[in-house]
Amino acid sequence: MTRSDIDPSRRQLLKLIGAAAGAAATRFDAGPVLAQGAPVKIGVLAIRAGIAAPVGAAGLRATEWWAERVNKAGGILGRPVQLIVEEESNPKDTVERYRKLVLQDQVEVVLGGISTGVTLALGPVAEDLGTPWLSWDGTTQKGVEETMPNPKWAFKSVDNEVEAIVAGILTPKYFKGIKTVAGIGNDYSYGHDCWESYQAVLKRYLPDVKFVLELFPKLGVTDFTSHIAAIQQSKADLLMCSFWSGDATIIMKQAAAVGLFKTMKGVFTTAGGVHDSLKKEFTPEGLLLGYNTMYFDDPKGSALLKQFVREYKAKYNEYPPYECDHAFFNAESYKAAIEKAAGAARRWPEKAQVVKALEGIEVESLSGRRSWREDHVQMCNFYQGITTHKNSYDFVTISPVEVVSTKQAMKPAGAKLFDWIGSWKI
Amino acid sequence: MAAGLQVVFGVQKIFNLACGSFYALGAYVGVSAVAWYAGAGGPPALFVVPLALAGLAVGAVGVVVERGLLRFVYDRDETFQLLLTFAVVLMMEDALRMIWGTSPRSTSGLYLTYGQLEVLGATVPVYNLIVIAASLVIAISIGWLLTRTAFGRIMRAAADNREMAEALGVDMRRVYAKVFTLGTALGTLGGALVIPATAAMSEMGIELIVEAFAVVVIGGLGSMRGAFVGALVVGVLRSIAISVYPELEMLLIYLIVIVVLVLRPRGLFGGAAA
Repeated sequence: MTRSDIDPSRRQLLKLIGAAAGAAATRFDAGPVLAQGAPVKIGVLAIRAGIAAPVGAAGLRATEWWAERVNKAGGILGRPVQLIVEEESNPKDTVERYRKLVLQDQVEVVLGGISTGVTLALGPVAEDLGTPWLSWDGTTQKGVEETMPNPKWAFKSVDNEVEAIVAGILTPKYFKGIKTVAGIGNDYSYGHDCWESYQAVLKRYLPDVKFVLELFPKLGVTDFTSHIAAIQQSKADLLMCSFWSGDATIIMKQAAAVGLFKTMKGVFTTAGGVHDSLKKEFTPEGLLLGYNTMYFDDPKGSALLKQFVREYKAKYNEYPPYECDHAFFNAESYKAAIEKAAGAARRWPEKAQVVKALEGIEVESLSGRRSWREDHVQMCNFYQGITTHKNSYDFVTISPVEVVSTKQAMKPAGAKLFDWIGSWKI
Repeated sequence: MAAGLQVVFGVQKIFNLACGSFYALGAYVGVSAVAWYAGAGGPPALFVVPLALAGLAVGAVGVVVERGLLRFVYDRDETFQLLLTFAVVLMMEDALRMIWGTSPRSTSGLYLTYGQLEVLGATVPVYNLIVIAASLVIAISIGWLLTRTAFGRIMRAAADNREMAEALGVDMRRVYAKVFTLGTALGTLGGALVIPATAAMSEMGIELIVEAFAVVVIGGLGSMRGAFVGALVVGVLRSIAISVYPELEMLLIYLIVIVVLVLRPRGLFGGAAA
C-alpha cells in the first residue's frame, strides 16, 4: 500500500466529508422510512436448560414459526423479521442478557421470559431501558400481589394462579358431594399460590368443604410413593394437583399403580405442558384436566390453530403446548401494534408509539382472540375439561371442553386477589 | 446406586459425584431400550429383560471415565476428585439433553404390565415387588462377590492396603478399572430398573446424589451393609414424615445425618475411619 492510498488529498477528503454529511442528512430527514428493508431485530429470551426447558422450547418454536410466516408474507411494513435469541436462566444473568439485547444488539422489542422469579427482576430493567418487553409466561407478581401496577414498557402474562381459580370454578360443576380435599403442589411460590387460590374459590362454592392434607414436595422429585400413601390415608374425596412438569406424569403413573383414582376424584391443572405423556394406560377417565391457555385438539379451533398443530407435529413429533400461543400472541400483537401505529403513512413508529398501540389491542392468535389489558396484562381463554379415552391418540384428551375467559377468572387491574374472590356473587 | 457409591469409595477412596449421572444415564438408556424392544414386537411381559441388560451394558462407560479421567487424580487431593466427578456430572447432564432432548422421557404404561397385588389391605404394583427382589439379588451377589471370590478378596485387600496389594503382584490399574465399572453398572442398572415407575429427566442424577450421600453417611462410608440399612432408614423415615408431618420430610433425614455424624462419625456400619 502506498502512502497516497491512505492519505487522500485535502480536496478528496473534503469531498468525502461532504458526501457523508449529505447522506446523514438525507437519512435523518427521511427518518425511519429509509430503514425499510433493513431487518427488524427482535430479541427473544428462552429457557433452554433445566426443568422448564420444554416450555422454553415450545415458546421459541412458535416464535420461529411466526417469524417464518411473517417473512414469507413480506415482513412488517416491508421489513423482514430477524430473531436474536438469548438464554433465560437465573435472574442476574438473564438481566445481563436483556441489557445486551437492548444496548448492544439494539433490538426493537424483547419477547420472552417464563419464570416469574426472573421476570420480577426483568420488569424494572425493561422500564429503565425504555424498550417494549412482552413476556411469554412471566408476571411481575410476588405471590399473588402485583409489584408493578402501572408499567410503561413491560407487558406481562396472565396471573399465575388463574388456572387454579378456573379449576376451583369447575370443580363443583363436575364433582358433586365433595366434602374433603387433599392438595399437592411443588414447594415454591407457584405451588403454594395455586393451592391457596383453589381453596379460596372452592370455599365460595362449597362453604363446608374441608381441606384435610397439603403436600409440597420439592421441584424435581421423581418418587411420590410416600406422598400417595399419605393421600390415600387422608381418605379425601378429591385430590387437587398443580404439578406442571414431568412430575405430573410421574404422580399419575404412581397413583394409577395403587388405584388411587378408583375411589378419589382428581383435579390436575398441569399448567399445560405434559399432555402427550399422560398415556391412557395409567391416566383414568373422569379427571378434571387443564390445558392452560391453548388446547391443541380443540374441536372448535380455528384454521390457524389446525395449521399450526399440523406443522408443529410434523416438525417436532409432539403436540404443541399452551406456551406456543403465549409466544405467538406476543409476536403477533407486536406486529399489529406497529401496523396500527404506522397508520396510513406506513411510517415506522417510535417505541413509545408502539407501546401506546399495544395497550388494549386485540389480535387473532392460535387459540382465538387475545388482547392486552390497559394495564399490560394478557387476556385470553383457559381450557379445562374431563379426561376421556375416546380419541385416536395413545394419551387422554378432554371432553367436554370448558372455556373460561380471564375476564371471569383473573383479578381485575388493581384488585387484591382474595378480596376479589370474596366479593364474587355466587 | 448407594451400593455403587460404596464399592467405588471403599476400594478407590474416590468420592464419586458422577454416580448420580450414571443413574440418570441408565434411566434414559432403559427408556430407549424398552421403546426399541416394544417397537421390535417383543412380548410386553418380558420387558424387564432388555431393560436390565441395557442398564448393565451402559455401565461400560465406567471404563471410559475411569481410564480417561479418574486415573489421573488418584494420588491427588480429594478436592480434585470432587471437582472432576462434578465436572462429569455437568457434562453428562448436557450430553443427556443433547441425545434425548429436554422433555421428560417415560416408558408409557409398562409399569402396570404385571398388574397389582393386595398386600395387607394396600395395593402394591407387582413391578415394585420385582424391583425389590432384584435389589435383594444384587445385594446378595455383591456380598458373594466380595466374600467368596478371588476378585472380591483382591478388592477387599486393595481397599485395606493398596501398597501391600500392589507389592503382592496385584495389577491395581485393572482392579480399579473393574471396580469402577462395577460401581457404574450398579448405578446405571438402578436407573434402568426404576424408570418404568417414573420418568427420566436430565436433572434426576443431581437430585439423587444428595439423598444417596445421606444414605451413605448414615450407613457408614464404604460399607455395603451400611448402604442397605441406610437406604432403608432414609426410605422409611421419609414415608413416616410425609404422612405425619410433611414439612419435616427433608429436614428429618438431615437431622439423622447430623445425629449420626456427631454420635457415630463412621456411620452405623462404618469400618474404616473415613
